[in-house]
Amino acid sequence: MAARILIAEDHPASMELMRYLLEANGYSTLTAGNGEVAVAVARRDRPDLIVCDLQMPNLNGYEVLEALKLDANLQCVPVIAVTAFSMMGDREKVLTAGFDGYFSKPIEPETFITQMELFLPPALRGRRPEGE
Amino acid sequence: MSESPDHGWIADTPDALILVDAVGVVLEWSPGAERMFGYSRAEAVGSGLDQLVVIAERADEQRGFIAETLAAGWGTFESLRRRKDGTLIYVDISGKRMGDGSAADSQVLFSEKDVTQLKVRRDSKSLEARFGDLLESTPDGIVIANSTGHILVTNSQAERLFGYAPGELRARPVEDLLPERFRASHKGHRSHYFSQPRTRAMGAGLELFGLRKDGSEFPVEISLSPLMSEETPVVISAVRDVSERKCFEQALQEKNLELENANRAKDRFLASMSHELRTPLNAVIGFSGTLLMKLPGELNADQTHQLEIIRGSARHLLALINDLLHLAKIEAGKVELHPELVDCNALIEEVAATLRPQAVAKDVALELDVPVEPVVFRTDRRAVSQIVINLTNNAIKFTERGSVRMGLSAGDFGGQRRLEFSVQDTGPGIREDELATLFEPFVQGQASRIKGVEGTGLGLHLSRTLAGLLGGTLTCRSTYGEGCVFTLVVTEI
Repeated sequence: MAARILIAEDHPASMELMRYLLEANGYSTLTAGNGEVAVAVARRDRPDLIVCDLQMPNLNGYEVLEALKLDANLQCVPVIAVTAFSMMGDREKVLTAGFDGYFSKPIEPETFITQMELFLPPALRGRRPEGE
Repeated sequence: MSESPDHGWIADTPDALILVDAVGVVLEWSPGAERMFGYSRAEAVGSGLDQLVVIAERADEQRGFIAETLAAGWGTFESLRRRKDGTLIYVDISGKRMGDGSAADSQVLFSEKDVTQLKVRRDSKSLEARFGDLLESTPDGIVIANSTGHILVTNSQAERLFGYAPGELRARPVEDLLPERFRASHKGHRSHYFSQPRTRAMGAGLELFGLRKDGSEFPVEISLSPLMSEETPVVISAVRDVSERKCFEQALQEKNLELENANRAKDRFLASMSHELRTPLNAVIGFSGTLLMKLPGELNADQTHQLEIIRGSARHLLALINDLLHLAKIEAGKVELHPELVDCNALIEEVAATLRPQAVAKDVALELDVPVEPVVFRTDRRAVSQIVINLTNNAIKFTERGSVRMGLSAGDFGGQRRLEFSVQDTGPGIREDELATLFEPFVQGQASRIKGVEGTGLGLHLSRTLAGLLGGTLTCRSTYGEGCVFTLVVTEI
């Protein structure tokens, strides 16, 4: 059973890209257009992994992370920051804040899925489109 | 109020009459003493003079007065006394032995006259006569005061500074020159100063303010130096108005703050710009990628070709953004070097390993010419690596046949250790007239225009800027038609 992945992203094109890539690789997705919704959806549906933009309305990525890590039910869910903040020092800042991974935008569609899957146990990894 | 017997006109005498026993305990305290020292008779009688009016450093002197009067039957003295409110006064003292002269019944009557103003006038005149001309010749305002805190002499600079007429400050309390809020503590500092006089330099200590006659304040710097003038200790204060300097300091501080804010605003702008430009590129690179991965379906040859152009252009734009931001950071002084011992052989081998696939794809040989001995050099790994990658990448791009050779050598030049990286190619070379502007931003040589080789136009400019940051140089030699060699020379940092 492939993982269910929550995408928290306020930019519609970026959201559609990640959603398309994930679903094309056999994952089911949940979506949230801002931080507050992301936390609510995570609490309701407990996804297996969360990819999270940093600059979002209501709650930003850091605030979302804080809420998730304080929730006993969600603190084990890996959270990956996917952000266009990719100047020198941004990666360190993100990882120090407690995100499990850091992907900078623009993402590379060829490698995005395999890198993300490093954060999932093998049983939850998706099927390749080629494998269909 | 007073319990002393009313002797009529004696009670009105301005002098203080004090009767003490042989160890200085007060037996009688006249209304004149009450007025002069501020202690009531009830407070004074039964206490030692030491606890009332004798200042600590003069306790021995006071015992001497009593002993001398008892021995001789009378005596005259002068001294400094402290009033109940802490102010000091100069007194002339006449002592007379009272009682029958037996040791058991020894008493001394002191009649004390406040000569503070008299002494101020006398000392003032003598100082004026001795130092007047000298004081006029100094640029600072000079105020000489005695230990009772009275101004003895000022020069005209001080009078102008504080807004007083010539001579008007003489005999005034020095506290008149201070804003109200500093006066109480100043009296304390002043008596402390006279017990331990020492020279204090201008500008040492707190922010001080002077008070003009018209009530306005101004910032001052003051130096203090003690002086013995005919056995009277005085203090010379040199006073300087620092309004103008304070003004400059403040303006400078504001300017610095402004620059800091502008710098922060620029940082924020660069970070936002980076973020805002990357966000749409994410969709362009991402969806051209998904199409080229044929996730939505098969593509024909034209579609594949055109999508590759879109993706290539988007990547080019991304490279431009990265280079521009990097340059902006270097120019803003935001790039910190991280010196460390770098294994340069390994660095070159890593770069070669990364770029070899590109060379192999074009059938160009990528050769290494590095010493067998490891070259370990103290520099910034990241910066050196970025320059070498850029040079090698360029060389492979422009070379169609032959080889790209990466060289490394280290040596001493004039006692300084130098490291030389070189990248030599057998490409088309660079025309002599183009060599001069080669490192300018957005300048691309003839070869790249002819061959359509894509670059950001910033690579060499960025590399040379980085080389400068490392304290090194980046140069190019070329024979047009035969290739070129780029050389990075750095010293240890």
